Amino acid sequence: MSNDPDKVWPTGLNLREAEEVHSYLIDGTRVFGVIALIAHLLVAVTTPWLG
Amino acid sequence: MFDYKRFALGRIASLSTGYLPFADVASDAVPLSRLLRLSLFQVTVGMALVLVVGTLNRVMIVELRVPATLVAVMLALPLVFAPFRALIGFRSDTFRSALGLRRLPYIWKGTMLQFGGFAIMPFALLVLSGYGEAVDAPRWIGLSAAALAFLLVGAGVHMVQTVGLALATDLMPEADQPRVVGLMYVMLLVGMIVSAFAYGALLETYTPGRLIQVIQGTAVLTVAINGIAMWKQEARNRSRANAPPQAYSFRDSWAGLTDRAGMIRLLAVIGLGTAGFGMADVLLEPFGGQVLAMTVAQTTRLTVVLALGSLLGFGLASRWLGRGGRAMDAVCLGAVIGIPAFGLVLVSALVLSAPLLVAATLLAGFGAGLFGHGSLTATMRAAPREQIGLSLGAWGAVQATAAGLAIATGGVIRDLVLAAPGAGATSASPYIPVFALEGGLLLLAVIVALPLRRGDPAAAFGPARAGAADKTGAGCGLAAPGP
Repeated sequence: MSNDPDKVWPTGLNLREAEEVHSYLIDGTRVFGVIALIAHLLVAVTTPWLG
Repeated sequence: MFDYKRFALGRIASLSTGYLPFADVASDAVPLSRLLRLSLFQVTVGMALVLVVGTLNRVMIVELRVPATLVAVMLALPLVFAPFRALIGFRSDTFRSALGLRRLPYIWKGTMLQFGGFAIMPFALLVLSGYGEAVDAPRWIGLSAAALAFLLVGAGVHMVQTVGLALATDLMPEADQPRVVGLMYVMLLVGMIVSAFAYGALLETYTPGRLIQVIQGTAVLTVAINGIAMWKQEARNRSRANAPPQAYSFRDSWAGLTDRAGMIRLLAVIGLGTAGFGMADVLLEPFGGQVLAMTVAQTTRLTVVLALGSLLGFGLASRWLGRGGRAMDAVCLGAVIGIPAFGLVLVSALVLSAPLLVAATLLAGFGAGLFGHGSLTATMRAAPREQIGLSLGAWGAVQATAAGLAIATGGVIRDLVLAAPGAGATSASPYIPVFALEGGLLLLAVIVALPLRRGDPAAAFGPARAGAADKTGAGCGLAAPGP
């Protein structure tokens, strides 16, 4: 495995593996972002802070 | 000259795996400390259950003045996802990952769902109850937000528990599975008891701010504890990562599982028994209070006694099955113990004896512990290694659905008898049909389970069938899907 030409520097993951790790990061950001958006909307409904 | 690049590369290469959340090698022996750490996910499941079913149930009705029927509907929503546990388990069994992981991504996704639900839940509840400016907000905002929050938490709990149990089963050799099952049940109970006390103390003086702190604190704690639990637990599997994609459909896989001798029967036993034991969970306390005139402190102690009995049951089952006992024996014995236990509850209503009710509760808890442990161990032993997730998903789906339906049915029966004309001759009359029904369900469970016990050892889910049967099982299950 150490001579794998697909290895991405410097993690030692190959391209598919690196893309999978990246996809978890992207998915997590999206999910947490949407959750934060909904939470802010609900707070704005109970205690409006802009106007 | 100092070679910075080589130095940096060496450092990164030696460090990087230390910061990755998966184990690099699958070790044969998993130490107890690592197993204990993994079982922490059950603590977060227990936390979520107590918060939603216990604490928020009360807070929504008493402090937030949400109509009781609406609360009941909201709390029942997560039940909708229970049957999908089998699908989640199947998906995790066959998950395609370049990293060779299959359980970890699902535990993480489940944790995110749990976190998301808890993060928006307090505000959703405040909007639902019309707190502050929310009085003027359209009704659908509060309703849909609260429903979304409960659905997210429910889906997350189902996902984390199903896949977490599958991961624990993956890690342990078959002989040690009874110990794992016992540990998982105990940790669930510990999580529920500790968080019940914690929520009680934290919400003693209720303010909206405190509600937000408590629920969102739970959200953060859930991510933290689950993170600790799953850190470096699953090994990367290169052969699985490089295997060509195989198109198993859920239907093929499900057919393979249910074709196994006794599997359908086992699931039926689990459903009947769980319903039988589950019905009592929410009715024992009001029964003690209304019929035997016990105080709140005394009825709370009833719940503690029930938990204590379950602990004894788990302990005995772990020892018994760990030494090579057959899982179906524990299942049958648990159900058999449950029948006289509920009989004793009825007798205690006739002679108005609180100590008798306590004894009956202990016995019912003991039976439930034996039954729960035995049924989960039987499920683990019944499935081939490749189908652990699907099998545990089926167990969870049946168990969660049966428990939820049983609790609802118990409440409905009690209220119907209470509302019927001419009822209320004694305060016990609404409860008698419920406890009688429980005894009947357990009797039915024993009758359905007996052929499994009598049958050949392979169907009784003893440890003896380990090697050879596993291979044949793989043959009829996943390895040979229909064309």
